[in-house]
Amino acid sequence: MRKIVVVLTAGVLLLAAAPAWAHHAFAAEFDADKPIKFKGTVTKMEWINPHAWIHIDVTGEDGKVTPWMIEAAAPNALLRRGWTKNSLLKGTEILVEGYQAKDGANRGNGSIITFTDGKKLFVGSSAGDPGAAPGTTAK
Amino acid sequence: MRHLFLIYGSLVAAAALGQSAAGQGKASAAAKETPAATRARAATSWTHPKTPWGDPDVQGTWTSDDCIGTPLNRPANLGDRLYYTEQELAQRQANLEKQQQNDLVETVAPNARVSTGSPGHWGERARRPCKQTSLVIDPPNGRVPDMLPEAKLRPIPEGAGNNNPKADSWEDFSYYIRCISRGVPGSIFPVIYGNGQQIVQGKGFVTILQEMVHEARVIPMDGRPHASPYIRSYMGDPRGHWEGNTLVVETTNFLGNRTGIVGNGGGTPTSDAMKLTERFTRTSPNEMRYEITIDDPKTYASSFKVGFPLTQEPGYQNFEYACHEGNYAMFDSLSGARAQEKKAAAKAAGAK
Repeated sequence: MRKIVVVLTAGVLLLAAAPAWAHHAFAAEFDADKPIKFKGTVTKMEWINPHAWIHIDVTGEDGKVTPWMIEAAAPNALLRRGWTKNSLLKGTEILVEGYQAKDGANRGNGSIITFTDGKKLFVGSSAGDPGAAPGTTAK
Repeated sequence: MRHLFLIYGSLVAAAALGQSAAGQGKASAAAKETPAATRARAATSWTHPKTPWGDPDVQGTWTSDDCIGTPLNRPANLGDRLYYTEQELAQRQANLEKQQQNDLVETVAPNARVSTGSPGHWGERARRPCKQTSLVIDPPNGRVPDMLPEAKLRPIPEGAGNNNPKADSWEDFSYYIRCISRGVPGSIFPVIYGNGQQIVQGKGFVTILQEMVHEARVIPMDGRPHASPYIRSYMGDPRGHWEGNTLVVETTNFLGNRTGIVGNGGGTPTSDAMKLTERFTRTSPNEMRYEITIDDPKTYASSFKVGFPLTQEPGYQNFEYACHEGNYAMFDSLSGARAQEKKAAAKAAGAK
C-alpha cells in the first residue's frame, strides 16, 4: 500500500524540547505543526556530513509520486554501528514518521523509520525521541 | 545488514561487561571475570608505553562516549559528591544494560515518541556508566562558577543554547552549526555522537584530530613561546610539555566571543582572555584521564576544572567529517525562519 497514510494531525502530539547537542537548531528546521507519516521507496542514500539523507519516492492516493528527503544519523555514527553503502539499497520500502521542514519543502526529520514489516531501520539504537541518557532512568 | 547490527550490539555488550582491549582475543576468559577484576588485572600488568624517541606514548583513537549524558553542572541535591556510590553505579550499570538490550530489539517500542527533535537513532552510546555526577570536578560543588555581569550580556548564537531559533542570517547561528568550530572544550566534552579524539605523536609535536567539525590541534612540544598576542584563532595557540607521563597542554590566544563551554561549544561565548590547561594521563592501555582547567577572567568569577575519562574501544575509529558538504540544516533553518515570518504576516493581515 504505497500511499500517504497520514499527513496532518496538527496539535495532537506533545513535543519534547529539542536537545541543544545535535548538529541542528531543530526547532528552526522542522515544523511541529506538520507531522508526516508515510511509506516510501528508497531511491538513494546520500552519505554526507553532517548528516546522511535518505531519498525516497512517496506515491499518493492519486498515484502521483513525490520525492522526499529524510534526515538520518551522521555517517560516522552509522559506520560505527555497522552500516555500509549496501545497508539500504535502492528499491527498499520504508515507513517514515516525523515532521516536515518549516519552509514546506519535502524534507523530514524521520523520528521513527522502519521497514514495512515494522522492524527498525536502525537496530542498535532507540527510535523516536532520544532515549534516556546512558545509566539514567527515562524521565 | 541486520547481522551487522547484531555484531555491533555484541561489541557494545561485551565492552559493557568490562572487556576492554586488555581482554581482546581472550573473550572467553575475560567473560568469567568481574569488570573490577579485569580492570585490576590490566592495571597491575601494564607499563606505560614510550615512543621510539622516548616520550610517553598516548597515541590512539579515544572517545569520551562513556560520559555521554553526564551533566556539566552537578544537580544541587548531590552537594559536593563527585562520584556515585557503588550501589548507584550498579543501578546505572543495570540501566545501561537494559538500554543496550532495548537498542537491539528489532521493533519500535510502543511508547516511542515522535517529535521535531533529534531522533534517538542518531545517538552513540556509552559502554559503561560514567562514575561522576558532573563533568565539573572543581569547585567541589561541581558547578561552573558565577558568570560575570558583562559576560551575561554577550549574545548566544542561534542553536547554541538560546533555544529561540529565528535567524536573519547564517551569521546568527553558532559556529558549530555553521561547521566552523566547536572550540577546544566543545570539541572534547562528551555529546550524543562524534566524540572521537585521535592522538598522533611525532618528535616534538602532538596532534589531536577531533572528529566532529574535523579539528586538528597541532601542539608543539619543544618549549617555544606562545605566538604574539596579536595572533588569535578559534582553537587558540597550544603549547605542550610532559609532566611524568602526563601530557600537559596550555592554550591561549583565543579569539573572543566565538564558542562557549557547553557541549559542542554552546552557551555563552568565552573571551579572548581565556587560558586552558589540559592534562591527558593514560592510566591503562585503553583508559585515559582527561582534565581541563578553564581560566577566563572576563567571563567567570574564578577558574574551574572539568574532567572525565577517555577510552579506546574495539573497532572505534574516526571517520571523515566534511561538515559543509551537506549542511542542509542551515538552508532549512533560514528558509524556515522566512516561512515563519510570512505565516505571521499573513496572520496579522487576516486579523485586520
